[in-house]
Amino acid sequence: MSYKPDESVLMAYLYGELSGEEKSAVEKYLKENPTAMKELESLQHIRKMLAAVSDKEVIAPPIVVEDSKQRFFWNAPYFKTISAIAASLLLLMVAGKMLDIQVNYSGNEVSMRFGKPATDKIVETLPQGLTTEQVQKMINSSMLQNNKIVQASLNETQDKLDASIRKNMAMNSTRVNNLVQEASRASQDEIRRFVATLQDQNQQVVKDYFQLSTNEQQTYIEGLLVDFSKYLQQQRKNDLEVIQTRLVSVEQNNSVFKQEAEQILASIIANGAAPNTSTTKSY
Amino acid sequence: MHSDTLIARAKQGDKNAQGKLVQLWYKRIYNFSYKFFLDHDLAMEAAQKTFISMCRNIEGLQDIARFKSWLYKIAVNYCREEARKKKNSRWVPFENVINIEAEESPRWEGSSVRSDNPERKFQQVELSDILQRSLMELSAEQREVVIMKEFEGLKFREIAEVLNVSENTVKSRMYYGLDGLKKILEKNNITKETISYEL
Repeated sequence: MSYKPDESVLMAYLYGELSGEEKSAVEKYLKENPTAMKELESLQHIRKMLAAVSDKEVIAPPIVVEDSKQRFFWNAPYFKTISAIAASLLLLMVAGKMLDIQVNYSGNEVSMRFGKPATDKIVETLPQGLTTEQVQKMINSSMLQNNKIVQASLNETQDKLDASIRKNMAMNSTRVNNLVQEASRASQDEIRRFVATLQDQNQQVVKDYFQLSTNEQQTYIEGLLVDFSKYLQQQRKNDLEVIQTRLVSVEQNNSVFKQEAEQILASIIANGAAPNTSTTKSY
Repeated sequence: MHSDTLIARAKQGDKNAQGKLVQLWYKRIYNFSYKFFLDHDLAMEAAQKTFISMCRNIEGLQDIARFKSWLYKIAVNYCREEARKKKNSRWVPFENVINIEAEESPRWEGSSVRSDNPERKFQQVELSDILQRSLMELSAEQREVVIMKEFEGLKFREIAEVLNVSENTVKSRMYYGLDGLKKILEKNNITKETISYEL
């Protein structure tokens, strides 16, 4: 009888959790089955590789646990469940009362209805013994009648519609005319008013300008005249001074001449008093 | 790693003992969660929730000898819960946005500790990355078992207790997990020959 360990036994063997007979049985099996041995070796190799995965270093954060809260009976889960069921039932009852639900069970029949039971159905009974043709005739006649009524109502509606459209059109056109006229009137008045204000403004501006310019010219001319008169006065004064100095110089000259003439006369007179001597001497 | 008296004291409500247990086991639970998610934030979240739950519920622990499997049971439940939340949320963490250039480039920033042989160190880090990414390709059931057995050193009996399944189921998941890893690595051309320099 051949022994073949399953995966769980192989795993227990791989991790050294087998002992005794079972372990030796597996070892024997592996010796006899090189394929199984190779398979197990490959898994062992994966284990060796996994050893390369190192742990990450981590610092434990402070774990703060609140003191267990006081438990009230209404916080208990069973109380919550019971109260939920009670609330649902109450809701159903209120809804049932409001909708007036009536559930009847009679015999093998369960019936449920809202409100009072409905009255007996009105069943129109057709007269018996009618043939197909009669029925066809009745249908045709009713169809014709119906068509006439529909046609009449259609015509009536069409007329009403036409009339109302015409009325509306007329009303709208007069409204539009009025509006346009009002608008044009308003615009004419506005233009007139605008032009008038423009003219007024222009007049005012021109007036102001002229007034300003005449005032300025007046002051300028006045200034000019004043300056000119000042200049004239200054000129006159200068001229007078010149004349005065000339006169003074003339006077001085005259006095000089006078003195010279006196000296000359004096010298002549002196010469005349002693002519002999002087003449003899002079000859 | 710790004495039973520490657990007994923590069970009686001793906050100091509970704090010491957190200090002792945090690294193990974090690394278990990290290998489960390959994401630091999710691993921290799951580890913190595990220890909050541990502190709250340790009073109800029946058998002190089963503390380890009890703690891993809480961790596995929170890891599954976080994985479900992550699956349901449409939010994509920025780090997960595919960046081909960055993915293909070697992880220079990661080499924090200086090694005597930098090349060998780099190869080991690279192999570790490849193996952890390969682990993520396994189903969650197989991944849980492989991590608990290979990295956390739990016995098959303990893993069966944690997962609340039979021991044979655990062994079977382990077998198919290892076999799956072998196939994934072969697919990525990582064989005994190509990485012989590592081992």
